[in-house]
Amino acid sequence: MKALLLARVNAGAVAVLAVLTLSACLLVGGLPRAMQASFDDALRKDLRAAGADQIDLTVRYEPRGGDSGISSHEQFTQFDKAFRDELPPALSRIVTPPGAGTSHLSLKSVNTPMVGTTTKFLNVGWLSNGDRQVTWVEGRAPAATKDNVMEIGVARTAVGGQMGFALGATYRIGATDPTTVKVVGVFEPKRAEDPYWRHNQEFLQINEVVRPGAADADLYYTALIDASSLPALQDSDRRVVYAWIMGVEPGQVGTQGFDGLLDAMDDFTRELGLISPSFSPYVLDTRLKAVLESFMDELATAQTILYLLLGGLLVVALGVAALATQLVTERLDPTLSLMRARGGSLARITWTGTSVIALATLPAALIGYGLSYLVPGGTTPIVHLAPALVPLTALAFAAVRQANAHRSPLNERRGDVASPRPSARRVTLEILVIGLALGGAYMVRSRGLATDVATQGQDPFLLLVPVALTLAAALITLRCYPYPLRLVVRLASRGRPAVPFLGLTRAARARSFSTLPVLILLPALAVAVFASVISTGLTRTQTLAAWQAAGAPITMRTDLEYDAAAIERIKQVPGVETVVPAQTGRVQLGIGTQKLEIIAIDLAAYRDLAKDSPLDLPAPPTGDGIPALVSPDLRDRPKLDIGWQSRMTLTPKGEIASVPGFFHGSMFALVPFDANERAGTRTAVNALLIKGDADVAALTAAAKVDSRVTTYAQRHAAIVEDPLTEMIQLALLVVTLALAAYAIVAVIVSLVISAADRAAALSFLRTLGLSTGQAQRLTVLEVSPLIVITALVGLGLGLGLPAALGPGIDLSSYAGDLAVDPTDPDLLTPILLGVGLTVVAILGALVHTTITRRRTLGSVLRVGD
Amino acid sequence: MEQTLSELENQASQEKAAFGGDAHIVCDNLVRIYKTEGVEVVALQGLDLLIDKGELVAIVGASGSGKSTLLNVLSGLDVPTAGLARVAGIDLLAMTARDRLRYRRDVVGFIWQQTARNLLPYLTARENVELPLRLAGKRGRAQRSRSLLDLLGVDYCADRKPAEMSGGEQQRVAIAVALANSPQLILADEPTGELDSETSGLVFEALRTANKELGVTVVIVTHDSLVSEQVGRTIGIRDGRTSSETLRRDGEHAQEYAVLDRVGRLQLPRDFTNALNMERRVRLELESDHIGVWPSSPKEETGE
Repeated sequence: MKALLLARVNAGAVAVLAVLTLSACLLVGGLPRAMQASFDDALRKDLRAAGADQIDLTVRYEPRGGDSGISSHEQFTQFDKAFRDELPPALSRIVTPPGAGTSHLSLKSVNTPMVGTTTKFLNVGWLSNGDRQVTWVEGRAPAATKDNVMEIGVARTAVGGQMGFALGATYRIGATDPTTVKVVGVFEPKRAEDPYWRHNQEFLQINEVVRPGAADADLYYTALIDASSLPALQDSDRRVVYAWIMGVEPGQVGTQGFDGLLDAMDDFTRELGLISPSFSPYVLDTRLKAVLESFMDELATAQTILYLLLGGLLVVALGVAALATQLVTERLDPTLSLMRARGGSLARITWTGTSVIALATLPAALIGYGLSYLVPGGTTPIVHLAPALVPLTALAFAAVRQANAHRSPLNERRGDVASPRPSARRVTLEILVIGLALGGAYMVRSRGLATDVATQGQDPFLLLVPVALTLAAALITLRCYPYPLRLVVRLASRGRPAVPFLGLTRAARARSFSTLPVLILLPALAVAVFASVISTGLTRTQTLAAWQAAGAPITMRTDLEYDAAAIERIKQVPGVETVVPAQTGRVQLGIGTQKLEIIAIDLAAYRDLAKDSPLDLPAPPTGDGIPALVSPDLRDRPKLDIGWQSRMTLTPKGEIASVPGFFHGSMFALVPFDANERAGTRTAVNALLIKGDADVAALTAAAKVDSRVTTYAQRHAAIVEDPLTEMIQLALLVVTLALAAYAIVAVIVSLVISAADRAAALSFLRTLGLSTGQAQRLTVLEVSPLIVITALVGLGLGLGLPAALGPGIDLSSYAGDLAVDPTDPDLLTPILLGVGLTVVAILGALVHTTITRRRTLGSVLRVGD
Repeated sequence: MEQTLSELENQASQEKAAFGGDAHIVCDNLVRIYKTEGVEVVALQGLDLLIDKGELVAIVGASGSGKSTLLNVLSGLDVPTAGLARVAGIDLLAMTARDRLRYRRDVVGFIWQQTARNLLPYLTARENVELPLRLAGKRGRAQRSRSLLDLLGVDYCADRKPAEMSGGEQQRVAIAVALANSPQLILADEPTGELDSETSGLVFEALRTANKELGVTVVIVTHDSLVSEQVGRTIGIRDGRTSSETLRRDGEHAQEYAVLDRVGRLQLPRDFTNALNMERRVRLELESDHIGVWPSSPKEETGE
């Protein structure tokens, strides 16, 4: 018997299996790719945000009293090559070639005082590709040192001003044996924002450094010299630092091979130590390792959640693949039984049946796996492994099932008479799963899911705990649900109508609805509910965090004042609905040096403005004098004497945890808007809280004073538009939808599988006088109890999982550093999921009886013969 | 006359002819018990049966008498609980899985009552006939299937699928399928059960052809008097035991016999016992050429 023919004959079931396999492979292959892409994006974003000076590998060398041996560009370059040769492969892959990106060489003198001053320092420095980075706007580029006069170029920002440099002027620098330098050119950087300049800010601006105890700041500037002046610095008395900067290309760094990268940095530091001259070491100066390590901490939680979701999805996908395989093998059963009876060997029968499954799953899995490559992202072992597991599970399930079914000559047991008793092996396995799940849950609660992930990696055992918990719950449900149902059956048996009794009896026998759908339905629902709880909690907390940070849809602040006319103009800007003025200040507390942040605002008006937001603002302070709401640390003070526009005394009347958009933490107070007037001066508005959707440019134009504008939208975007946050939200959405879909598929497929059985039973009952309506009610009563119970348990488990995992999952870094509270979930989505599934299942049962009704009784009665 | 010890020893060491001798099918004290949760159903309770090679035998009996169980045992689809079952010299109780497979491939072929169950609906008649040959890896499939379909008069159906054939045609193709592997024995479970009398005749004729032309032993379980009255021997089964045999010889009237088992038990037909009001006990008297069976007199019943 050709497998192809069998597949063609059972095209419907085979197509269902193929589609499910394809979708499962696409999901479990694509999701890790997308996850990997988001991890890499987040890492690169962090690296770029840290800045080139932080992440580039800089080898510094300060010869102390010895000869550096570097007197020319060529020698400098030779050293660069030598250092690069020492780079381990993991590092050499991520650094840009010499001269490209931010890679360059530099020599700078350090703390070179200007003769005749005590607070001005003029260093000189050479940059290997400085000529390409600057434009000479006055004079010319410096040339070689002539007649003991070193030519230098200075930035336009350093001309005049505090340092007082001028084109053509000469200065003497150095404490011993001073060098004469002459300004021959003035330059501007071609692109000041180029990461190159992050290493060389001292060439572009004057640094002010206040030494402890000094009245005035010291001024530092570094001027540009030509390569031909290098020998002049090599053997002078100046303190100089040579630097070989090997630029790191963030695009080349990925989260894969993270550990290798950290090890490589240690190796490189060690190598530098080995080749350093005896008198002074080569020092690797970079914060790359610190940036990577801090990112790993942030990544750990994201990885935990995503792997958790992926694990749940994989388990459910495998279950659904097995269920669809069961559908196909049930369809093949008559043919294979006949083949077996006519002399087919067990191996032949198993091979034929399994070949049909292979025909359905292998091409589909390959296509799904191939399609997953359309999802942009990196390739990790799980990208290959997870899609391979789907067809392998289906094939193994089919092979074992068929070998088992056709092994004995004839089935001794009659399934319609008594349900088979579970084997000891199976009971032991179930107890093992339940025990492991409970033990794991205890461990998760006691040590958390993401603990030590940064240093020790994900713990696969703990990651499996939530999935094992749902499986354990499914097993317990399967074993225990008939007992309460039998009680109901007893009650129903006393009643006159036959349908409830019959339906519930059939349901309590658990024959019509097999184990597999429950094992799929419960984890699917639990993980989907878990995902939706986390997702809604995250969304809500992100909104709250954005409100906390912004304070209002639009907040305007100025160092000057918004007068009444300005406020009026701002009110007229299209889109502005409400404007709440406020005055903020940093005031003296008592008569000491303690400072207090203060805001004078009409809290009632603010509450009105923020009434649609998740902000929880207290009632305005009331009372005589100047009542105030104060930060928790000031709560116990009976009076606060402050110096604002005039001296005034505040009476704390309550506590406020934070003033959204302004202060949080400690040492702040909120007073009525007219506090200054009550103290005898006037209110000078310097902050505006605006409700509405107005153009920021129009607002600043209307204000006519220099303003800083922050909006809720900006703050929200800053929190939400993080690659990891976006990925978590996307993964939560995809997994919720996929699992809901799988749960529905599981219900429908199992209805189809048990259709023949049920049709026969109903037909026999119809010959005894069962009406169509009764048949429908009977089917619904038969199918729904287990689905309703499973849905309820799944719902409860999904709602309980976030609380059970408790501190194991810290989502605060994806919600603007506010803790996400999973114990107060939004119940709408989970309940919709549960109810939706139950309704689909019951509708499926109804449709099924309607279809059965169309067939003639005679033909139905022969179903299954 | 008392026997000496040496005579007894001599008697014990003499080989007795085994029960059934070289019969094609031998069932001796066959027992089959089905177990479902806590309930045991005894389908065969010590059944004895002998069928010779090349016989055409019908098995009749009421529903639940154990006919189908016997057929399942003989076809190797079921294993008896105890007793002896031997077909063509093969002990059906001692078969390994491999033996069972070989048995199904080479020794036995069978036909079920449901026409649809015998044939795969998506294969043509020819492909269906070739299926057992294919499974056994035998050559000359096309020729074999053609000749079998020809022999059974359904050669015109060769390229039709079951749905395009009548019930009678389907059963005749099913016979061809059963004969495909040149078995020594054909077992048919109510092969005409779903057919009208005219078609039944055709199907029975096909079985008779197979029996005559190919020398195959044919055992038919049937309710159909049309079939049971045309075979040479009809075996009745009651309560899991063979109870009667009806023999027909050419030109003679059918003669029904009761079956005497190896320990001397026989079942008296219920009509006979009812007519003479025989209950519990009967009186036996040995005459020179027969054994007389009398109902116990009322006096005896009361013990007077």
